[in-house]
Amino acid sequence: MKYKLVLLLAVLSFKLLAQQKQFSSAENGKFIYYEVVEKASGKDSLMLRANAFIDLYKKSIKKQSTTDTSITAKGLLIIDKTILVASHPSGEVNFKLTFEAREKKYRFWLTDFEYIPYGRDRYSNYVPTTKIATPLEQTPGKLSSGEWKDIVEAAYDKTGKFADNFKQALATNSTQKKKKKTETVSTAKW
Amino acid sequence: MKKFLTAIFSIAGTTCALAQEAPTSPLEFSGSVDTYYKYDFAKRPNIPTSFVSDHNSVSLGMIDLALKKKTGKASFVGEISFGPRGQTQSIPDAANDNSSFHIQNLYINYDFSDKFSMTAGYMGTFIGYEVISPVGNFNYSTSYLFTNGPFQNAGIKATYKFSDKVSLMAGLFNDWNLYSATRGVSSIGGQLMISPVEGWTAYLNVLSGADPYGYGTIEDLTTSYQITKAFKLGLNAANYDMADDAGGYAGVALYPQVAVADAVTLGLRGEYFKYKDVGTVEGSSYTGLTLTANIKSGGLTFIPEVRLDHNGDKPFLNKTGGAAPNAGQFSLAAVYAF
Repeated sequence: MKYKLVLLLAVLSFKLLAQQKQFSSAENGKFIYYEVVEKASGKDSLMLRANAFIDLYKKSIKKQSTTDTSITAKGLLIIDKTILVASHPSGEVNFKLTFEAREKKYRFWLTDFEYIPYGRDRYSNYVPTTKIATPLEQTPGKLSSGEWKDIVEAAYDKTGKFADNFKQALATNSTQKKKKKTETVSTAKW
Repeated sequence: MKKFLTAIFSIAGTTCALAQEAPTSPLEFSGSVDTYYKYDFAKRPNIPTSFVSDHNSVSLGMIDLALKKKTGKASFVGEISFGPRGQTQSIPDAANDNSSFHIQNLYINYDFSDKFSMTAGYMGTFIGYEVISPVGNFNYSTSYLFTNGPFQNAGIKATYKFSDKVSLMAGLFNDWNLYSATRGVSSIGGQLMISPVEGWTAYLNVLSGADPYGYGTIEDLTTSYQITKAFKLGLNAANYDMADDAGGYAGVALYPQVAVADAVTLGLRGEYFKYKDVGTVEGSSYTGLTLTANIKSGGLTFIPEVRLDHNGDKPFLNKTGGAAPNAGQFSLAAVYAF
């Protein structure tokens, strides 16, 4: 009985944690993912690294404007539907990225999230079914509410991963990256 | 049960291990299942287009399973179906061999660059608006243009993407709908894709060579335009001429669709189709009007549909079995895509 209660508590805690994973809302009511990072590198380095990151992922992020201290870009995240061990793309979420750098700190936020569903074409490839996107904040009707909740959660997860990659890139000085030396194994002695 | 779970985790482990070794896309797995009920107003199978054939019966469409994987610049697609829609009703020569399955797509693609790619294998045809898979169509029943045109083409094709707005495909193909050629690699085909404005895509297609009826050339325009978030308009027009004036067909179908709620879209298919005159024998012409609703909930789509067809030559049957110029049917289909 005791173990059952512990298990129930664990499941409820897990559910609660899962529910906490959701977008915040900006002043304009739109979903936003906002982070401020302190104790970072100098402003110029941060700008250099942020630009390099966007250039590296140019297929999914397109720069819109750049100043000495800021970048705005538009990007997309692919949402997947998983079946056992395999998955396929089920849609894409477009977003707007804003990055601002100061001396030793920076902030960035992603907002204007819009969803475009994918459908399977005649060649069995997943492609956008429409060019007109739906804002992620929109509440759908009852029939689609379950699916929409999954999409919003998946978008949040993907945004979190994107943010982690972005912060990792901004914390790494790519010019001083040491090349990994391949370990040499000698078969002469053993 | 234990063995089953062990097998699943072994596959999962292998997939993860492979994923770590090379930067590849995960194995994509998708598919669909569909079933339907149809009631023909003449109380017998009547309208001669593909699929949805059985009267007053809860009948099967097909189960369709597709795999896709991309490693670097190379990718493959394998898609196979079982069930009447994917088997005997899909291949013109099915009656000869009663095929036990039907390959929908089986091809390998290589991206030489972001703009240029080549594909070889057996593929869904590039001709026409409608496809075999019910997931790819809005209407559950199919048009005369679809029924009479190619379903699939085996061959090799090269595609060059000039921009997101223009691309060109050219290829060499076997005769229609066959895994292996009976008359050699005998067809040449091409497709020009143009996207003049956001949401509007037009495909100009041509395919010339061997087909199930002989030799001929088909020209086809397939286009769709998402004009507003709620309204989409599709159009398919085709002209097929057989060699030596041995016949052919021409037709046009319009597909307006309007979303009336988040999960509900209504659509109409209006079609005019005519077989070409052969000598002094005048070709028959059909008009068809199909009203369809798509009601979606997750992966499930309910498709209620009413269809009315007309042909002045009275090719249809009435309730008593006599010739009739009109035919009508109601169907309710359930399609689940995963």
